[in-house]
Amino acid sequence: MNSGRHGMGNKLKKGVPFKGTSFSDLLAGLIYVLIAASVLVFILWPSIAIMVKSVYYDGQFTLAEYIKLFTQNKQLLLNSIFVSVFSTVLAVVIGLFIALFVSHSQNRGKRLTFAVLLLTMISPPFVSALSYIMLFGRRGIITYHLLGLTINPYGWHGVVIMQALGHASLAALIILGVLRGIDKSLEQASLDLGADSLRTLLKITIPLAKPGIIAAALIAFIQSLADFGTPAIIGGNFSVLATEAYMNVIGLYNLPRAAAMGTLLMIPALLMFIIYRRTVENSEYFSLRVSTESPLKLSRGVNYSLALVTASFILFQLIQYITILWGAFAKTWGVDFSFSLRHIQAVEASRLAAFGRSLEYALIAALVGTLLGMIIAYMVARKKFPGYRTLDFLVTLPYMIPGPFLGIAYVLAFHNKPLILTGTAFIVVANCIYRQLPISTRAGTAVLTQLNPETEYSARDLGASEITAFKDIILPSLKPAFLLGFVNTFTTTMTTIGAIIFLVVPGSEVATVQMFNAIKTGQIGVSAVLANMIILVTLLINLVFSYFILRSPRYGGREKREETYVPAIDGIK
Amino acid sequence: MKHKLLAMLMILVLVFGLAGCGGSSDADLPAPEEKIAADLAGTTLKVFAAYGGKDEIFQAFEADTGIKVEYLDMSSGEVLARIRAEQGKPLGDIWFGGGVDSFIAAQTDGLLESYVSKEAEFVTDQYKDPDGYWTGISLVTVSFIVNTDRCAELGVDVPQTWQDLLKPEFKGEILMPNPSISGTAYTILSGILQTMGEEEGWAYMDQLNAQIPYYAKRGGEPPQKAALGEAAVGLAPDTGEDLKAEGYPIVSVFPRDGTPWWPSPVAILKGAENLEGAKVFVDWCLSEKGQQILRDNCPRVPAREGIELPECLAEIKDAELQDIDFVAAGNARDGLVEQWQTRYGQ
Repeated sequence: MNSGRHGMGNKLKKGVPFKGTSFSDLLAGLIYVLIAASVLVFILWPSIAIMVKSVYYDGQFTLAEYIKLFTQNKQLLLNSIFVSVFSTVLAVVIGLFIALFVSHSQNRGKRLTFAVLLLTMISPPFVSALSYIMLFGRRGIITYHLLGLTINPYGWHGVVIMQALGHASLAALIILGVLRGIDKSLEQASLDLGADSLRTLLKITIPLAKPGIIAAALIAFIQSLADFGTPAIIGGNFSVLATEAYMNVIGLYNLPRAAAMGTLLMIPALLMFIIYRRTVENSEYFSLRVSTESPLKLSRGVNYSLALVTASFILFQLIQYITILWGAFAKTWGVDFSFSLRHIQAVEASRLAAFGRSLEYALIAALVGTLLGMIIAYMVARKKFPGYRTLDFLVTLPYMIPGPFLGIAYVLAFHNKPLILTGTAFIVVANCIYRQLPISTRAGTAVLTQLNPETEYSARDLGASEITAFKDIILPSLKPAFLLGFVNTFTTTMTTIGAIIFLVVPGSEVATVQMFNAIKTGQIGVSAVLANMIILVTLLINLVFSYFILRSPRYGGREKREETYVPAIDGIK
Repeated sequence: MKHKLLAMLMILVLVFGLAGCGGSSDADLPAPEEKIAADLAGTTLKVFAAYGGKDEIFQAFEADTGIKVEYLDMSSGEVLARIRAEQGKPLGDIWFGGGVDSFIAAQTDGLLESYVSKEAEFVTDQYKDPDGYWTGISLVTVSFIVNTDRCAELGVDVPQTWQDLLKPEFKGEILMPNPSISGTAYTILSGILQTMGEEEGWAYMDQLNAQIPYYAKRGGEPPQKAALGEAAVGLAPDTGEDLKAEGYPIVSVFPRDGTPWWPSPVAILKGAENLEGAKVFVDWCLSEKGQQILRDNCPRVPAREGIELPECLAEIKDAELQDIDFVAAGNARDGLVEQWQTRYGQ
């Protein structure tokens, strides 16, 4: 019964059969229950707290804010959806091109591409937008000084481009994780049957990567819906729900309306999620045997277009990061680009404490959060307990809520009995963990959906406990997902400000808060220095972590097998 | 936790200590505030702050009183959103600086503690709440941050008045924040409406609106974009000293036909753990020495009478400060912002 045949989806639904009660299995059960409970406490409970705010205030129940929204602010909702759809499609297309470039093309520069992908995950808030303005603004270095154009960069097009490029890195990494795991013998079969390489790519490779593509789309879409920073800085007159919601909290102090906007944002996100579930559930392809090398020899045309998109992406991103780097050493950013060390000298030692705090929070959040994400992915994709769909949805929920709301939601939920956590470092870390959980979980399920469960079944048949099977079989194959989850959680914790500004207490400032304040007071050079410090340290830790995750032959003798699932990373080997 | 216990202990000692003193003559006891300050030395004060030069200011305070300050930099809108969510159990003691309108809103919600400092008598009535829910520590004045290079390109003089901003050359060249998020922009709006009158005021705003390409969503953005030359003029709540020091080609101008301003207050949060320390802090901010230190580290007009102006604000003497009723402006906020939103928001 355990020897499921190739692609037998219905068998899967029943999951791994129960194999008698052992202490280890009990422990596994306990872990599942605890994790599910923590999701209820740290995701469902604060979400309810903020939603209640939108319908119950001043002591009574009312739908007034929703009615107002639909009658007066329909345009905002439409704007949000328009921008998100547009930027998602762009991000996924760019991401797919880059992923295919790394996994399938014969070009050089894969290592560089992978490093740039890791780098561009690190985008400290506001600094990127500032460098965009410096490069492409009305007086931008490229648009004005180089090309002599005076274009207006503010508006929906700027938002779409910046979001698409911003989300393309994550999309590429997610798709890459899946692409490298697909059964290359299917590609070989297609070639043997006479299809050319392009046809194989379109009919075999890309459909097989569908779980990754859809997961990337879901994440890009939700991220774009909830993004308030980009439209706030380069949107100009163009407003979306997330920015308006932010302004309603911070400016109008109108929490009920903001909460209503936040709740409304979840509707398109929810629709997207349903589409995602359907697609993924209908696409359970498993590979029996995986070979590392793709047999595809891409035609020159395909090869060049992949390389072109990837190269343009890299060029654009590098220019942006070089601008930020330059900003730290330029005498006056934007006016006098001569070399100067004065900004670096202006960074005081007192800032290092906040920096250390950021690092500590980010490391804990990344390790705990990613492990949590992997286990949840396993619970959702393999165990399929009753209610696994709900769990899957709940895990995605915090991502749909714009950062500042999740911060306020946490204050509303954890400031009073029964659970008082505000004022602790724990709640800051918890917020970072649960906010980024969707990425780790999504990356994990994307890999698992595509992974044949037979190995686990065999292991269980041979008497391995559930925990052993998870540790020895699942976790190694989840390496790319684990890496992605770590990099993402670590990076966002190092760079976000939206949610945690409401949770940190005086005396426990983190690095981004300081950077943001340097920008606010006009010390652009100093904030560039801080941004570079954040970028450098984050990149370094990401690289070191990637190195260890990919190198450590903890499961001795099975290295060959691991190779097959981890290749997303051979770029940096 | 340790701090909490310590603070509680301190307060207990303080309460019983003072109660015990009730019967004896006051003459042989040290002045109460000295005693308090001595007892509070070593305690910690948690501050939400929106002010320049915080590190230096708080170090000076600690040197004077022995009370350690831990702060978090937050805009006043963020502080208000946060203390509202914290429902009277704030994770801070003091709210230091920001837009007076947020303080008035917090006062209305019962989130502030009343404390009339003895030093407050040297602060003009217009700058403070009579019941001591908040007290102005300095005046924030609105100025035009003007990019001189951009003006030269446009072939136009540096604007000196609100009327100058309406010159055709400045079309698309003026940036101000959205009044619904920015205290600066709201003060500009209410100041213009209060001084010009409703009808004339809105007529002016209509014309100004035609000059503005879009409304910024952060208060710090207009001066920054003016510095980078993205616009000729950015409306700002300060004279952009930091940007000038960076070397950007900008000058600051106080509009001569009426400069909007507001008092930037200090307030004790209701439910403050270190209430006594908070009172000492308010006293210190308003004292002569405290006011000088504040001025030297963040160039603004001091709220206390008889304190010299900071050098860079010397010109403010020639400017005409608008006559603004802050409580009225604070109460009219929701309605005005709504009206503004329907006129220009889309």
